[in-house]
Amino acid sequence: MSTEIPIKFNYKDIKILKQFLTETGKIIPARVSGLSAQQQRKVTKAIKVARFLALIPYTDKQSRI
Amino acid sequence: MKNYELALIINPDLASRFNPYKEHLESVLSELDFKNIYCENVGIRELAYPIKEFTKGHYLIYQLEGNPTEIANLESKLKYDNSVLRHLLLTVDELNSSDSFLTQDTRDSKKLAEERAHEAKLKNETSIKADSDNADTQSKDNSNTTQLKEIGENDNDEATEINNAKDES
Repeated sequence: MSTEIPIKFNYKDIKILKQFLTETGKIIPARVSGLSAQQQRKVTKAIKVARFLALIPYTDKQSRI
Repeated sequence: MKNYELALIINPDLASRFNPYKEHLESVLSELDFKNIYCENVGIRELAYPIKEFTKGHYLIYQLEGNPTEIANLESKLKYDNSVLRHLLLTVDELNSSDSFLTQDTRDSKKLAEERAHEAKLKNETSIKADSDNADTQSKDNSNTTQLKEIGENDNDEATEINNAKDES
């Protein structure tokens, strides 16, 4: 599976980032998503920033409390 | 001078005090010699997880131009500001002066929520009507079952009487 991503994106583009999350909120490994190493690093960084700003959940367990 | 992007999550309950608060924030920024290039007012969004027991937050994203020596001052001001739930200061290569996907997304979800609320309202109105119709038929059903129960109890009484008679004999 390879998903196309734009060259430029950041933590605000949560629609793009959500493609690389599992249902439980984990980051999908490059081995599965088919991203290049460089792309995977960028996606991972953006996801982690978006998580800090509560745009994306760290886990699906938090929202059920 | 360096380019910065400041993302803030503000207390969503400020309501009418929000605009004065935003002006206060901008005055703090200008005091520290940060040039405000663009302010993206994303609006109130649902948080992915609760922060300080808030489930919603008002997002603001500033594009700033400023001096690296003032960063520590700005950080400490934001840290001790009780209305700021969370802040993030990033250095960026280029400053954006247009709204990002987030603002659009917030507007869309707001519209969706309003539409859903409207639909739910309509549904409620119709369901209340349906409920009142159902209630009439249900009350009839209930009266039938109570009658049946009474009959059943009577049977039991008779049975116990017979048993008692047997015991006596």
